[in-house]
Amino acid sequence: MPENQRIDFRDQISRNKTKSVFLMVIVFAVLVVLGYVISYVFEPGYFFIIMIFAVIFSISYLLISYYNCDKIALMSVGAQEIKREGKYKQYYDLAEGLTLASGLPMPKLYIMKSEQINAFASGRNPKKSVVCVTEGALEKLDKKELEGVLAHELGHVGNYDIRYMTLVAVMVGMISIISQIFLRSLWFKSGGNSRDNKGSAIFMLIGVILAVLAPIVVYLVQLAISRKREFSADATAVKFTRYPPGLIGALKKIKQGNQPDKKINRAVAPLFFANPFTELGSTHPSIDRRIEVLEKM
Amino acid sequence: MIILWIALGLAALIIFVVFSYFNRFAVLGNRIDNSLSQIDVQLKRRADLIPNLIETVKGFAKHEKEAIKAVTDARKALIGAKGVEEKVKADKGLESALKTIFALAENYPNLKANENFLELQRELATTEDKISYARQYYNDSILSYNNLCKTFPGVFFAGIFGKKPREYLHIAEAERKPVKVEF
Repeated sequence: MPENQRIDFRDQISRNKTKSVFLMVIVFAVLVVLGYVISYVFEPGYFFIIMIFAVIFSISYLLISYYNCDKIALMSVGAQEIKREGKYKQYYDLAEGLTLASGLPMPKLYIMKSEQINAFASGRNPKKSVVCVTEGALEKLDKKELEGVLAHELGHVGNYDIRYMTLVAVMVGMISIISQIFLRSLWFKSGGNSRDNKGSAIFMLIGVILAVLAPIVVYLVQLAISRKREFSADATAVKFTRYPPGLIGALKKIKQGNQPDKKINRAVAPLFFANPFTELGSTHPSIDRRIEVLEKM
Repeated sequence: MIILWIALGLAALIIFVVFSYFNRFAVLGNRIDNSLSQIDVQLKRRADLIPNLIETVKGFAKHEKEAIKAVTDARKALIGAKGVEEKVKADKGLESALKTIFALAENYPNLKANENFLELQRELATTEDKISYARQYYNDSILSYNNLCKTFPGVFFAGIFGKKPREYLHIAEAERKPVKVEF
């Protein structure tokens, strides 16, 4: 498989690790700057207290989301863990076979309620990884197709995409919530007039811009990550299964039958195998393009 | 003084490079050994499923002594086999003996519909998949090891550490194709 060998996965792993650190630094900086702006807009008198609070909050935020990002992602979709025996035996066996093919540790397996054919992987490293598929995927995909999807997810696990992508989803998802709260309280405050109107108006403006920009910037970051990663995860999947038609079949079924699922949280959308929503500005490369690349392998 | 520092720096660099290559060989070598034991684990699981299958088949199709004996013998050969290559070959023998049994089952509707039999059939197919995956990973591991052994500067260190390229598991192409059941 010369196509696959050309991609140096060790490079990608270290790049993902560096990017994760970089992301955490940026998130920290954004949070502290947000704290700074908030303190100026509301109470310049409590500047130091608010800043200390902002720093402590940011650090604990980073630590909590780093160690719990997979749980937060799983919780946001209401996933349930499955066991070896019982209804989901085939799912478990396929995943186990793929861990043999890839030499990766066995991830914890989850299912989530959704009619869509979809799946995602998460976790901070391969040893602590989780894989989750929708009930729709288990119902609608045949064995080889499901195997292709699982191999794709294990590709994300092996490449350390899971760490970076989950961190982006969780940390950034939170930023958008925080700035939303900030924006809303500003609307309430703007009703009353205060003494130094000019100064606070400028900061209010900055606050608004920041609050509006934060999710957009992050959304752009999300766009930048997913596109290339999906292709390399597809390539890794083929390296594991040596059977592109499985993955192609799954992609074709998704293209034909997936309806947008509004219940899935927008922040975790880039984690998924296929975009859970179908509108423009999607977080994933087009399915046609992916099929095209796979057919050339 | 400067020369001393340069010499020290060079020595440190050389030690670092030697260590990292030594570890690289060790890690990749361990990966091969580990994937080998994974093949073993799956082969053993496969062998363990057979007696159960034989019992079930005997319950419904006593007269097929020949086919049953073929499977029992193939299992014995698998358990007795030494070395991976031999084991994998024995597993191939078992696979073809099983093919006969599953083909025969078509003549016994009760056997074919038996829950236990179906479960065993599924389980045997699953272990077969896992064996081929484990084998694939074994060969992949050997590929990375051999790449390290044969490319510069790895080839230089391979000479120093006395590491030699390892042999792939050779399985004929025809055998890798999905098994066709004939009647």
